[in-house]
Amino acid sequence: MRLRTPIAVACVVGIAIAAYLTYVHYAHTSPVCTTGGCEKVQKSKYAELGNVPVALLGLVAYVTLLGLAFVRGVNAATAGVFVAAVGVVFSGYLLWAQLGPIDAICQWCLGNDVTIAVVAALYVVRLLTEESG
Amino acid sequence: MTRNRLLVLGGAIAAAVVAVVVIVVVAGGGSSSPSTTTTAVTQPGGGTEAKSTFEGVPQRGDTLGKASAPVTLTVFEDPQCPFCRQWNIDTLPTVVQNYVRTGRIKIVYRGVVVIGDNSLVGLAAIYAAAEQDKLWQMAEALYERQGGENSGWITVPLVRAAAREIGLNPAKVVAAMRSSAVTSAIRQSVNEAQSLGINRTPTFAIQKQLGTLQQLQVSGLGPADFTPALDQALQ
Repeated sequence: MRLRTPIAVACVVGIAIAAYLTYVHYAHTSPVCTTGGCEKVQKSKYAELGNVPVALLGLVAYVTLLGLAFVRGVNAATAGVFVAAVGVVFSGYLLWAQLGPIDAICQWCLGNDVTIAVVAALYVVRLLTEESG
Repeated sequence: MTRNRLLVLGGAIAAAVVAVVVIVVVAGGGSSSPSTTTTAVTQPGGGTEAKSTFEGVPQRGDTLGKASAPVTLTVFEDPQCPFCRQWNIDTLPTVVQNYVRTGRIKIVYRGVVVIGDNSLVGLAAIYAAAEQDKLWQMAEALYERQGGENSGWITVPLVRAAAREIGLNPAKVVAAMRSSAVTSAIRQSVNEAQSLGINRTPTFAIQKQLGTLQQLQVSGLGPADFTPALDQALQ
């Protein structure tokens, strides 16, 4: 459980990013952007999965990861690795979309990419070092 | 012990990859749009075509342009019609710039169903946007996403995405699509087209002040072919 604090901090950063992008999505406003491509990314078809904004999915994932940080045991660590790995793979897919079909980069997405990678790495270390039972 | 953990780790990561692939294929497939979307949003000047074309142009209901414009150009369109898309994407910006912004003409949209039932969904979205004076932006946004004829590409998720792109509340647009006002507007438009014997799209008609609606004959849908015909009709 020694990684609980760094995991929680990283998850809070992720929650902040995802919450902001979810707000922007539903408020129909443009995100604050220095890379110039945030609005284009936000309005692309990749910003939604089915009818659900991917930012909201990210928010749910980070909240889940934050909750798992406070649960002891290998099972919680494994669940954390799974959720974080889904986040990393999905972030990779969205990064591909930004560099390819959308042809625009969103700084918030890049920030999320780094954050979810850190969370995933912390959960991997936690899984490998978590005490059984 | 460590080996077991590594196996668990590998399994969790593999399961995550499979989960993402399934999610993207299943959920993403329903809201996919053709590559034209990308083409449209990368127009020179930035922003979407829909935004730049209509920005600052008066719009009320199905009419684009100043109410005082002496000539009315009525366009009969089907949202599934590829030639309507071509006219909207290639020529409408020029017509708006040179004729509508200058107050010479106003353009009236008339939705018709020529290709198939899926066109009705598109028309419902277009007339729903008209209630918020964004009919032309919605038509443009749908053309940017146009798929194959009768392939069922006009879906509610697609309409939601289009509404969001043009700055409308998607839920409000979808709710309005089922309203009696929108149904009545579509019926009125389709009836008018039928009464004029219009069975192909796009069809253009010109009406000068106190004059009758005259069909505009054009040799092509590109700006070079369309605007001379318009100039001649305006004389």
